[in-house]
Amino acid sequence: MTTSSNTKTPWELLSRGILSENPIFRLALSMCPAVGISTTVMNGLMLGVAVLLVQVFSSVTISLFKNQIHPRIRIPTYTLTIATWVTVIDLVMAAYLPGAYAKMGIFIKLIVAFAIITMRLEMFACKENAADSFWDGVGMGLGFMVGMVVIGFVRELLGSGAILGYDVLGFKPLLFFILPSAGFFVVGLMMAFFNWVELVYKRRKGIQS
Amino acid sequence: MKDILNIVFRLTVSCLMAAMVMGAAFILTDKAKKHNEHAREERTMYSLLGYGEGKPVPSTLALHQIYRYVITEPGRQLIGYLVPTTHAGKTGYTLVSLDLEGKMADRKAVALDVEQSREKEDRDKAILAVIGPGKEIRFADHTIVVTDNGKRVAYLLGGKFPGFKTFINVMLALDQQFTTLGLEVLENEEDPGLGAEIEKDYFKNQFKGRAVDVLKGLQVVKEPLPDQYRQALEGRLAGADVSRIMEQFKDKNIYALTGATISSRMLTDGLKGMVGKFVYRLDILDHVLNEQKIAVSF
Repeated sequence: MTTSSNTKTPWELLSRGILSENPIFRLALSMCPAVGISTTVMNGLMLGVAVLLVQVFSSVTISLFKNQIHPRIRIPTYTLTIATWVTVIDLVMAAYLPGAYAKMGIFIKLIVAFAIITMRLEMFACKENAADSFWDGVGMGLGFMVGMVVIGFVRELLGSGAILGYDVLGFKPLLFFILPSAGFFVVGLMMAFFNWVELVYKRRKGIQS
Repeated sequence: MKDILNIVFRLTVSCLMAAMVMGAAFILTDKAKKHNEHAREERTMYSLLGYGEGKPVPSTLALHQIYRYVITEPGRQLIGYLVPTTHAGKTGYTLVSLDLEGKMADRKAVALDVEQSREKEDRDKAILAVIGPGKEIRFADHTIVVTDNGKRVAYLLGGKFPGFKTFINVMLALDQQFTTLGLEVLENEEDPGLGAEIEKDYFKNQFKGRAVDVLKGLQVVKEPLPDQYRQALEGRLAGADVSRIMEQFKDKNIYALTGATISSRMLTDGLKGMVGKFVYRLDILDHVLNEQKIAVSF
């Protein structure tokens, strides 16, 4: 796992979060929401957007104040930072984006205890500058969002026979996919797919694992 | 020791900064948030009454809020109805307290305007001020009486009852004969894709057009929802066809959601209980209001 930017470009930081270090399929973090919430594409997208916002704001904040944080209380400070941004985003959305808040409100409050956000603050933001932390936060947030949308797509299609709430199959092929336990099947299959892609990529490039 | 003090200082500063940011966000957004909540509630109410983009709300339509409280005083319990009253052309509120036999125990004017009455804190404070010390109050529920040109046309009931997972929060509209005009599921935590389908049109609209006697006897059946009925419930047919099909099914039982029979049953039973209690309570309240000649605004 890469822990620092090492003069990486914004694009490299972005793509790392989406592909090679995807929070769900590669790092296997924040699995509870991944299997609990991702029953539909829209649920996955909403939670993904909420995580993206909190991740970016928290990463930049920790990066800016990294020299003032005592190493022994860094984890409580991260939690406090995340909780603060979750609260601020929740209040601002409720006040100024009521339409989006009606759909996303319940997801935003869940984010405080997400392992992926705390992990990125610990592994990256507390060591790097604000600009790199911003791109890392965007990459990880987008990676989480992509993961949630993919899982939501498979589960909604197979469980409800629908996509984005529109009935496309006319029947429910496997109702089991709506249940949280089926989320693990989808995550497992996607992990296997990502591992296979990596294997093929390395073989083609002649890289030894 | 120096390290401990350093940690305590930094943690305290972090907490203070977080509190300042959250406090500032709260102060800046609170007014807009309350306004949005009120607007959303109002939109839901009007949509249940059949008004929306295609059918504007008439200026003669008025919503009158009734708040029900349980008042506990040494040795007895009362039911307090905070009702809007009109006195010398001005709308105020009166607390009408009934004993458990349904007879009037007390009647007091409460210093509240319509805006203040929406805030629970202001309402509670005003009620406590008029009922005097040594008594406790507990908010039970609130009902809205809808009038058009001063004549009662509908009722809006808010209700919360147990679902399969946690609570289901609903708003139900009834006409003056207590026939269901519409149902909106405001909040639920049922399983997504299963019990959470209670908020979908093809389930919740099954309660539309049910007379009070039919509603009280409704059962949930585990049979497939007829395709034509589903299309009518989802509004996918022409207006005349929808009315014809809804008429055909108005005395039939409720078709359970696939894989969520308990959620379907909990919602149905919850609504039956809500409507039954409302009809009973309204009858008692109306009787007292007429008997005591209290000039309510509905």
